Amino acid sequence: MSAVLQVSNMRKTFGGITAVDNVSFEVHSGEILGIIGPNGSGKSTLFNCVLGQLQPSAGEVHVDGRPTTGMRPCDLNRLGVSRTFQLLQVFPQLSVRDNLILAGQEHQGSITSRLFGRADAGVGDAAGRMIEFFGLLHLADEPAGSLSYGQQKLLDAAMAFMAGPRLVLLDEPAGGVNPTMLGHLRERLRAYHVEQSATFVVIEHQMEFVMALCTRVLVLAEGRLIAEGTPRDIRQNPIVIEAYLGH
Amino acid sequence: MTRFGMLVFVVAVAAGVTGPFLLRPFGLYLISMWAVLTIAAIGLNLTLGYAGQVSLAQGAFVGIGAYTAALLTQAGCPFVIAFVAAGSLCFIIGWILGYPALRVQHHYLAFVTLAFTTLVFLVLRNEEWLTGGIYGINGIQRPNVFGWSTAKAINFYFFSFGVLAALAFATWWMLRSPWGRAFVALRENPIRAASLGVDTRRYTLMAFAIGSSLGGMSGALYAPLVQFIEPNSFSLGLSFSLLLMVIIGGSGYFFGPFVGTLIAVLLPEWLRVTEGYYLIVYAAAVMAMMAFCPAGLLGLIERSARALGGRRRPETTQALVGGADS
Repeated sequence: MSAVLQVSNMRKTFGGITAVDNVSFEVHSGEILGIIGPNGSGKSTLFNCVLGQLQPSAGEVHVDGRPTTGMRPCDLNRLGVSRTFQLLQVFPQLSVRDNLILAGQEHQGSITSRLFGRADAGVGDAAGRMIEFFGLLHLADEPAGSLSYGQQKLLDAAMAFMAGPRLVLLDEPAGGVNPTMLGHLRERLRAYHVEQSATFVVIEHQMEFVMALCTRVLVLAEGRLIAEGTPRDIRQNPIVIEAYLGH
Repeated sequence: MTRFGMLVFVVAVAAGVTGPFLLRPFGLYLISMWAVLTIAAIGLNLTLGYAGQVSLAQGAFVGIGAYTAALLTQAGCPFVIAFVAAGSLCFIIGWILGYPALRVQHHYLAFVTLAFTTLVFLVLRNEEWLTGGIYGINGIQRPNVFGWSTAKAINFYFFSFGVLAALAFATWWMLRSPWGRAFVALRENPIRAASLGVDTRRYTLMAFAIGSSLGGMSGALYAPLVQFIEPNSFSLGLSFSLLLMVIIGGSGYFFGPFVGTLIAVLLPEWLRVTEGYYLIVYAAAVMAMMAFCPAGLLGLIERSARALGGRRRPETTQALVGGADS
């Protein structure tokens, strides 16, 4: 299996605090990698450094063997790397459909052809299918801001998949979502993973969600990688229990 | 657009075409001013209302456009070329002014653009060899456009109205294209937009450049309308007025600038009967408006229509572009 994402010796410091400390890992094509760890262990900072929202203090990122360290988020996205954020990030005044079209349109044609071409940039049908896939059909023309929290989480995830990415990084997709919606979300994520043979990296606190979804799990504590293994191994690892699960 | 919105639109266009025949010269001057300043307000609505970039420089771009057109036409250049030059020059300067917006936002950006307006004013006042300094430029002729003289007030009005219609259509087209969606995304959440492949840098600069270019084209019409320009016309006051027009009409609504400019141009005239108190009444009306309806007049209309209809309409891009159509 080839590495879709390769992170080597990643470090990020804020003043005197080292948020991410010499972290290296690889994500293989087609796997769902979970990253867990206590609050403040550097998971989201790691994501932000990988995806260009933050400049890493040291270390390198490769996507499909291509160096992408410090690349702008929009350029990285066009290489087929997509993400969701820990806090909800939809565009509340745009309709559900427009949110999804927006998520796909920048991958179509050039900036000039988008100005003179179709209003939906040719991704209207794809947006419609995504709306159906995530069960948001009855809400398609509602402003995204009027949806419930769980529905917005679904939309948020749907937007990350809109452009058909090869690699999706999900930052706490289950956070604050009720159990029914959570089952639905997990099922949708897994279905997408199978249908599109996409690769996922998931940050999550909800252990059941991680254990059910992920094929491999990394554990971060205080910015360092302390363990790696299958969900079963991680559950029984004494270091992990000490740092995280035991509490 | 809904049927009601369509009706309002048709009536408004009919009024714009037939109304001038019923007006005396001063009335014609006022509605020409409305048409000219609406172009600048549309530009600011694009930069501020859609893309969310606070700018207090629109008045300065009207000034740059006015001086460019006046100087070029007085040097013997045909008006059409002067008009294109004014728009292009402001596009370039607007693009450059957009760079600070990549680093600072909101009120900090407002200060950057405010400084730019002051700078333009000083250049217009001090560079006498070019601009005539405080004496300004006199005797600007109403142009002949492709052999058609706009010297008569009603002709100039129709010319301005035609330019407004063409530029409004172009802006509408742009806002209904993926660009419009990207501009709104920039306003609502630039970080998320970037993570979805939206090149926020390019769209921010573009929003500034196109908005400023509309300001410049408005200025190119302003010069032959008033026929005399001087630096004070383009000081901070004009930038604030244009901001007021956008906010009063409804920032982020396509037809907001049309309504806002109409009020800003006509209200002071109607309030003239109150003599010295008109500014006080005007200011009080604006404050009441902002306190009770920050979304502007079109926001108020939309809210009332929603309350009356008992039906919630989504504020999608299409609804935003449609403006008062609910």
